[in-house]
Amino acid sequence: MSTLKDLFEKDVQELENEGIVFATLEKLVAWGRSNSMWPMTFGLACCAIEMMASTDARNDLARFGSEVFRASPRQSDVLIVAGRLSKKMAPVMRRVYDQMPDPKWVISMGACASSGGMFNNYAIVQNVDSVVPVDIFVPGCPPRPEGLIYAVMQLQKKVRGEAMDDFGTPLPMVEAWTR
Amino acid sequence: MSSLVTALEKAGLREYPILEGKIKTVVAALDTFKAFLFECKAVGFSLCADLMGVDYLEYTEFMPERFAVIYNLLNAKNGERILVKVYVPDAIKIPTVTDIWRTAEYHEREVYDLLGIEFSDHPDMRKILTPEDLDGHPLRKDFPLGETPTLFREGRFLDPSAFRAGLSGKDTGLSGWRGGSRIDSSLIPKLPTAIPVSKEK
Amino acid sequence: MAKVKEKPVMPKLETRAEVIIPQERSELTGGSGLLHTEIMRLNVGPQHPSTHGVLRVVVDMEGEYVKRVEPHIGYLHTGFEKTMENRTYAQNFTFAPRMDYLHGFGYELAYALPVEQLVGAEVPDRAREIRVLLVELNRISSHLVFLGTGLLDLGALTPFFYTFVEREAILDIFEAIGGQRLHQGYFRVGGVAKDTPDGFEGMVKKFLDTFDAKVDEYEKLFKTNPIFLERTQNTGIMSEAVALDLGITGPNLRASGVALDHRKTTPYSGYEQYDFDVPLGTHGDSFDRFVVRVQEMRESAKICRQALSRLKPGAIQDPNRKISLPPREELETSMEAVIHHFKLVTEGYHPPKGEAYVPTESARGELGCYIVSDGGSMPYRIHFRAPSFVNLQALPVIGIGGLFADLITVIASLDPVMGDVDR
Repeated sequence: MSTLKDLFEKDVQELENEGIVFATLEKLVAWGRSNSMWPMTFGLACCAIEMMASTDARNDLARFGSEVFRASPRQSDVLIVAGRLSKKMAPVMRRVYDQMPDPKWVISMGACASSGGMFNNYAIVQNVDSVVPVDIFVPGCPPRPEGLIYAVMQLQKKVRGEAMDDFGTPLPMVEAWTR
Repeated sequence: MSSLVTALEKAGLREYPILEGKIKTVVAALDTFKAFLFECKAVGFSLCADLMGVDYLEYTEFMPERFAVIYNLLNAKNGERILVKVYVPDAIKIPTVTDIWRTAEYHEREVYDLLGIEFSDHPDMRKILTPEDLDGHPLRKDFPLGETPTLFREGRFLDPSAFRAGLSGKDTGLSGWRGGSRIDSSLIPKLPTAIPVSKEK
Repeated sequence: MAKVKEKPVMPKLETRAEVIIPQERSELTGGSGLLHTEIMRLNVGPQHPSTHGVLRVVVDMEGEYVKRVEPHIGYLHTGFEKTMENRTYAQNFTFAPRMDYLHGFGYELAYALPVEQLVGAEVPDRAREIRVLLVELNRISSHLVFLGTGLLDLGALTPFFYTFVEREAILDIFEAIGGQRLHQGYFRVGGVAKDTPDGFEGMVKKFLDTFDAKVDEYEKLFKTNPIFLERTQNTGIMSEAVALDLGITGPNLRASGVALDHRKTTPYSGYEQYDFDVPLGTHGDSFDRFVVRVQEMRESAKICRQALSRLKPGAIQDPNRKISLPPREELETSMEAVIHHFKLVTEGYHPPKGEAYVPTESARGELGCYIVSDGGSMPYRIHFRAPSFVNLQALPVIGIGGLFADLITVIASLDPVMGDVDR
């Protein structure tokens, strides 16, 4: 058992061989945060059924720490917009998003949420991004549960600071948290 | 069919034409249709399955009035079904049938919301599906579909309604593509800033 | 059905809120000696875990007892009818299943039947049997979701994991046949899009062989559970007269004891050739509505077995080239086939002027599509008789008088699908 004095005298490589890991606090927090992304149950339409299916015995979103669907926005980290968002529902969704504590993320699940999909008409919001800022878009009508799980994994990467911008340069970690 | 004939006789409405099809359709007049529906319930049409409205504004054939309300009645015992059709002029209130079948309450609210046909003596005549601030009645034929054009670079866009116009025979062109390289850019129409709503009333 | 619990005696609504206050604390009540509670107005939804989507219910409560329920709907209004009036008949097959996303094949069938009536298409036997098989499989999967999420609303998390195992097996069959898990768009006017893949019958048979035992297991899980019995029996009672007055159809009506099943009374798509029973309830309470659906799953499995045994090789589409696309290999040799292909893909068919309505039995009740054709390539007016929309009207009637927890049970047992309600 080495004392604190011994620890300071050893170099980093030696310590890592002994099983001690070095990280910045920022990275540690991000690591913990990324592995317990609690989604908000915001099921709107068909995609909600696939969102439910992603937590079932076969697909098991719990492997990635996101199985705890919270009904309260105050307890959740990520808003999964699952389904077509009508213009009547849009203010409700904005309100739910505003009630979520920072840092918060949004996954737009399915074609309807991402682009209006096949419903290009008077009733449907054509892109959820015009109501809340979206981090991940999932294509598909509806996306398979595997698609949603992949989106959660991509979001975890973003939270851990492994995300890139449009030009391929890595985004700073904290910038990925706030906007 | 015998029960229906009884209902017609009881209401004294023998002169109504009964159109023979897969489902019997009775065309009733605006002032007496409620008495007929009442008789229908008495002879066993215990369930009002549906109530819907049609806007005949752009119909290719001449119709007696602009709107029609269709009552879809079902005999729950033997599955017999009739459709009662009532032609309704624009801006005329028609009597409610919520006192005969309570189920008509939601249906009539839906017809009011989407087509703008008002029902008198309805207990709760409000919008039901569309947002409170939506002006107009979406299923009327003069209400636009409200499509958002698909945007491309350099101000090009694809107008979905022009694209579809060729299919309905209203326009000769099949493609609504309006490229900047094909025509003068000053001729490209401006994008609508808001979804236009109908200017009725 | 055996009943274990008698109807509980509830305190009278008028007197329950009055509490006698001792004389020395009479300043609380202004000297009257009685403390009057106020009606509490509670907003549930549109974002709530147990409202099956985006249903919003405003509840007036006196203490824990529900006095008035007012559903607010339209939070998923998608404008289906308006959009479908601006698409061709063939394109609309993509819209139909997205209304009721749990029973999509039922909607595809309900849309196909009136269009076939308008254009006069003949559906070959094999296509009919494939349709019946898929619709019934989909009915099972829909009821499985009902059972899983319904019990989830009552606080039982485990059945959800069990029922979704079976549902995944059905979705695998759908994926094999249509390429997608939920919305296939597989039906066409005059038949189905393409023939079944290799090994399809084996997949269905494998599923059906084990299914009945699974249903028994699920039934045992909840039917003997005292908490479930306590919460569902004698809550949300809907009598026959009330149900007919409110226009309720489907399992909710049959739980009240009315034997109205359009597959029996007005058979469509060849249902008259199948042998199955219509399960009926006796009391019309939430418990009966659960049990009727579970028994319906068994009957649907029975129909599936019969359909599978009747499945013989043959044509799957109406040979009329004015309605169905020519086969791919014909396009290389026949000019006429190319013309037909081009006309069908760009414009589609033009049904003659007329109106058609065919009632069908969806997993939630009477589902029919009313189509008005003006002779164009798009429907002039299309209207869906949505069963959930009508069934939801029962909520203000049967949801009152009980505890608030009973209201959640009633919503779960009515099984509304909000996509179907709002359209």
